[in-house]
Formats: sequence, structure tokens, C-alpha cells
Amino acid sequence: MREPARREPVALFIGQPNCGKSTLFNALAGHKVQSTNFPGSTVQHAHSRVAVGGKTLNIIDLPGAYSLSPSDPAEKVALTHLFEEEADVLVNVVDASILGRSLELTLELLETGRPMVVALNMLDLAEKKGVVVDRAKLEAALGVPVISTVATHGRGVGELAEAALEAVESGRRPSAERRWSPAVEARIAGLAEALPADFPVVFNPRFTAIRMIESGASPESGFSVEFCPELGAELAKTRAALEAERGIPAYEVLAAERHHQAQKIFEETSAVRRRTKRSPADRLDDALMHPVLGYVVLAGVFLTFFFVIFKAGAPLESLFLRPLESAKAAVAARWGESLWAFLADGLLQGVGGGVAIVLPYFVPLLFLMAVLEDAGYLARAGFLLDTFMHRLGLHGKSVSPFVLGFGCNVPAITATRILESRRDRLLTSLLIPFIPCSARTTIILALVAFYLGPVWAMGFYVANLVLLAGLSRLLSIFLPADTPGLILEIPALRVPSPRLIARKVLLQLRAFVKLAWPLLIGGSVVLSVLQYLGWDRSLNVVLGPLVAGLLGLPRELGVTLVFGFLRKELSLVMMLQALGTTYQELPRVLSTDQMVVFTVFVSLFIPCLSTFVTLWKESGRRAAFLSAGLSVAVALVLGYLVRVIV
Amino acid sequence: MNPLDPDARGKILRIVDISGGENVRRRLFAMGFQPGDRVESGPRGILGGPVVLKNLRTGVAMAVGRGIARKIVVAVDA
Repeated sequence: MREPARREPVALFIGQPNCGKSTLFNALAGHKVQSTNFPGSTVQHAHSRVAVGGKTLNIIDLPGAYSLSPSDPAEKVALTHLFEEEADVLVNVVDASILGRSLELTLELLETGRPMVVALNMLDLAEKKGVVVDRAKLEAALGVPVISTVATHGRGVGELAEAALEAVESGRRPSAERRWSPAVEARIAGLAEALPADFPVVFNPRFTAIRMIESGASPESGFSVEFCPELGAELAKTRAALEAERGIPAYEVLAAERHHQAQKIFEETSAVRRRTKRSPADRLDDALMHPVLGYVVLAGVFLTFFFVIFKAGAPLESLFLRPLESAKAAVAARWGESLWAFLADGLLQGVGGGVAIVLPYFVPLLFLMAVLEDAGYLARAGFLLDTFMHRLGLHGKSVSPFVLGFGCNVPAITATRILESRRDRLLTSLLIPFIPCSARTTIILALVAFYLGPVWAMGFYVANLVLLAGLSRLLSIFLPADTPGLILEIPALRVPSPRLIARKVLLQLRAFVKLAWPLLIGGSVVLSVLQYLGWDRSLNVVLGPLVAGLLGLPRELGVTLVFGFLRKELSLVMMLQALGTTYQELPRVLSTDQMVVFTVFVSLFIPCLSTFVTLWKESGRRAAFLSAGLSVAVALVLGYLVRVIV
Repeated sequence: MNPLDPDARGKILRIVDISGGENVRRRLFAMGFQPGDRVESGPRGILGGPVVLKNLRTGVAMAVGRGIARKIVVAVDA
């Protein structure tokens, strides 16, 4: 990408979380030439090429970052890109409704000295809050072009792209205005001058010096002292001097000055009309976070949530499954029992599983999640549930990955990147595979709900949540909490825009399909080959004592359980195949007790291959194997217990 | 006092100091909460849940868990 980047300018979109940056990016990418997206639009970057007045601009959307001192992995992604990508222009998106805070990042970015454009976004929300920003004044104060945008309506998007291109072509850099107090300025300049000529400077010596003072690395062990001991000493001296002058740590001196500069610019460029009466939105917010009413609403939201997903999912599933069944019949008629038949069948099963079983439940869930997120409700849910999550050793920020897990565990694990501490990410990721995803839900619905009644199925879910809580407490013993707790921004309530939600769902869906489908289809084909070779029967013999002895299930189900690893949602079909029966005839071969044992075991036993791979990628090999071991153990113990009790 | 103090409920407070470790302080700074800022103490979670603080200077609202709230030293703003 480096070479064409010289000819096609690169614009980096950077802004704080919830500033509407991705929305703006997507609105702009609407004029796209082509677009590639990477899993979880909010935690990784997205890249698009945009046509602007006959020219092409490469735009890259980075995850939101509050500051240039990262605290979670999503922020680290943003900063790595900022530092490594040779951006021709930075597009800093600021939330006009909280301009004072947004400008803190802007001031940090101005120090890079790169050509920059500020998108003054969310003006509609600012107006509702009684904040009127004078764009021209802000432009003068910052020394870079400021474009007014309302991303949700696509307003100002074209102008922004033109301004970005203009900034690249003119190569105009922000004025090198010295905003720090003279004392701080002298310290920064002193350290910048002390940088050796061969030091790997980022952007410019001043910016590098500021980053060195602010970084968490100690001057005794950090990169600077490794590079050259004199520099480490100089850094220590600079920090000590700042601390002596102000009586607070050096990084706080810079943070405090920047905070006050940002406030000053905000106050000089904006008029704030403070309302005395609480607006309807405020009153709604009071209700949503009310100690009693809040939980009633929360319970209602989640019940509606699952009701809608299952109501929408079930008919879609049967709609998609029908053509699949006829295709399978056609394959059987054409090829009989040959290897081709097995391969084609495996392929169809794989595609079918991805399309017909996961999507019907996953798409409505993504849609509802996007609505809740866009409206700002997820943050409120995090607030309400924090106290319970706290008792389980986690906090409110883990709520949204957990909810996503009901659709599919794969994106849920990716979503744990919003958590700051590694320990919280690990614990949440280890728990997610115990959440019944849509594939397992189909089994629960087909066996428990259909043969035992919906109350049993509900009970199954409740039991699953209790198990989740118990496991969380248990794991917390081995993973003691290392963070003091929740810090969660509560964004203003908004009416979600259908267009944006559709776009978000599409992006996430594409990421899911790219990651999970190859694994689903590949696993399914492997499974067919194993069946063709007759290896499934040998497995049944090996697993006999476990399946028949411990769980009291028919011996033939051994292979089904093992291959649940490759394809969770295939377990049901495979069970019927293995037992040589049909769904309607099932009660003749399997007692209801056995169905419950089977469902418990299949739901809990081992994360599926896609989840396993994602866990490995996100948290490492040990976490993936730990998760697999944990689920096998839990499934065996609970499977046995259920058999004994029921 | 800290924002969890019964006297702080629903009042307008001024952040006097943040007494936590560097990790907590950095995160609060990044959210735009610093000593000297005026904040409004908002809804509180039940059973020792978090408390919502709204920064009146920047307009940013955040929920902070009890552990962190205890480290924010505030005084009732006159």
C-alpha cells in the first residue's frame, strides 16, 4: 500500500469514542470506489477509497481513542496506525456537543504537525443541548480548517472530503503555535533538543518529547534509556523538574494544561445556553437509570430482544432450510454413496449451517444490538448491571460482549477489546463460550422446547445464566481483579437512524461471514470425509465408556459430540443421522431425559472451531486451550449430574 | 468527601483531587475529568453500584464504579 499511497493521498480518521467518526466515515465511503472492512468496525480499522471531484482519496477509519496515551487494545490499534501509517492528512472528528473534552485530543493531534482538518460533528445534538459553536472562531483558534458536519444526515460530508484533499495538496501544516505555559514549553523544548540526531523521532522532535514525558514508561527502563543512557537521564531530569515546579507528576502537568487549554478554546468559541428545566430526554434518562424503573425497562428490553430474535429467526430458518434439503436430496440421487456425494453434502451442510441456521438468529440480534448501541442504551444497561457484574468479578462494560454472544460467540470475543484490562478480557472471553449462541439455541429449541415444552427451555436459559455466574466467581478466584472498576462514558440518548443501523449490521455481517464461513464450510467438509472413511465408527468405540457409561446416551452419539467442535449447529442433524431416525421419530429412540442430557452436554461442551480460533487470535493459545478444557470438564460434570438428577 | 457520600447526592460538586494510582488518574483525565472541574452527581446504581458524574464544564457524563468513585475527592460547590 505504501507505493500507491504516494500517488493516492491517505486521510486518517481519528476521534474520541462516540463522536460519530465511523458514521461520518461510512457516509463518506458511500461515494466509494471500493471498500474493505475488517472484523468489528469499532475495534479495528476500516479502509475505503473515495472519489472526490475526479480524484481519489484513501480514507482509513481508526477505532476511537480518548487520548494518545492508550488504555485499551482498541485505542492501541488507533495509535499504532497513527504512528505507522504515513497519513497525508489527519481528519479529526470532534463531538460538538462535548466540544471541551473533544478538543483535548485535537490539541494532542495538532502537535504532530501533520496537515489536519477538523470535522465539527454532531452539531444537531449540540444545538439540542444549547451549545452553539462559532465555526469560524474555532478555525481561527485551532489554525486548521474546521468543517461543520452532521454525519447522521450526511451534511457537510462532501465539503469535508474536499477540505481534506485541499489540505493534502497545499501541504499546509498547523501553525506551530506554542500553547503550553512558558515554563512547560521550556522543558519540552529542552528535551526535544537533547534527542540524539539518530533517534527515531515520531512526527517531530517536540511531539516525540511530549510523548516521552507523558508515556507510562519509566526513564530508568524505557526505550529512551536503552537507546542512549544520557537521554534517559535527560528525560528523568525533565520530569523531575516539572514535578518540582507544580507538585504533581509530570504527565499530569501536561494533561492539566491541555485540559485547560481545551476548555479555554471551547469557552471562547462557543455560546452555551444553560437550560433551567430538564428536557424530555433528561427525564427519559432519569427513568432509564432509575433504581426500580430502570430495571423494569431493562428486563423488558431484554425480553423483547429475545422474543423478537426467536420470532424472526425461526420462520427464516425453515425458509432457508427447505431449498437446502432439496439440494441434499438431489445430491444423494445424483451421486449415491460416492466420495463426491459426501463432499457435496459436507459443502451443502457447511453453507447451509452458515446461511440457514446462524444468520436467521444472528442478523436480528445484530440489528437490535445496533439499535440499542446507537440509541445509547447499552451504556445505560452497563450502568444498571455493573453492580451484579461486579459480584461476578467483572464490571458493566462486559455486558455488551455477553449480549452479542447470544448471536454468535465469535464477534462477542472480538468485542472484548473494549475492555481495558487484560484480565477482564480473558475472563469475559473464557465465559462467552458458555453463552448459548444461535447454533446452540436451535438445538435447545428443537429438543427441549419442542419435546419438553417452552418452560423447560426458559429454565434451560436461566440455568445457563446461573452457571455463567458461578463459573465467573470460580474463575475470579484464580484471576483476581486488577482494575478498580468501571469508568464508562454515558453518551447522550439519541434516536437511532435506520440507514446507519443497516450499514452497521452489514459491516458486522460481512466481517462475520469472512471469518466464520470458511471455518464452518471447511469443518463440514472434513467431517464428511471422515464419515466417508468410516472413522466415525472407530470414534464411537473409543468414546463408548464416556458417552454410554457416564452420560447414559446411545453409543452412536459419540461421534456427534466430538464433531460438535467443528460444527455446533450440525449436532442435531448428525444426531439424527447417527441414530438413523427422523426428527418426528426421535422420541422412540431417545427418552426425554436423554434429550436433556444431550442438550446440556452439546451446549456446554467445547467452543466451536470458529470460537476456538478467535480465542486463540485474541487471547493466545493458552486461553484457547484453557477454554476448551474448561468447557469439556463443565459439560461432563453437568451432563452426569443432570443424568443422575433427572 | 467523595461522590458516594450521602451529602453529595444530587449536588453540584467540585473535584478537589483524585487520590487513586496513576492508572486510574490517567483514565479519568482521558475522559476529561480533572481536579478543579465542577461535576453534577447523578443517578446511583443499587446495591453498591456505580454513580453517574456529569462534568458541567465539558458536558460529559460517565458512570464510575464505587472503587473509583471513592478515590475522587470532592467538595460541595457553593
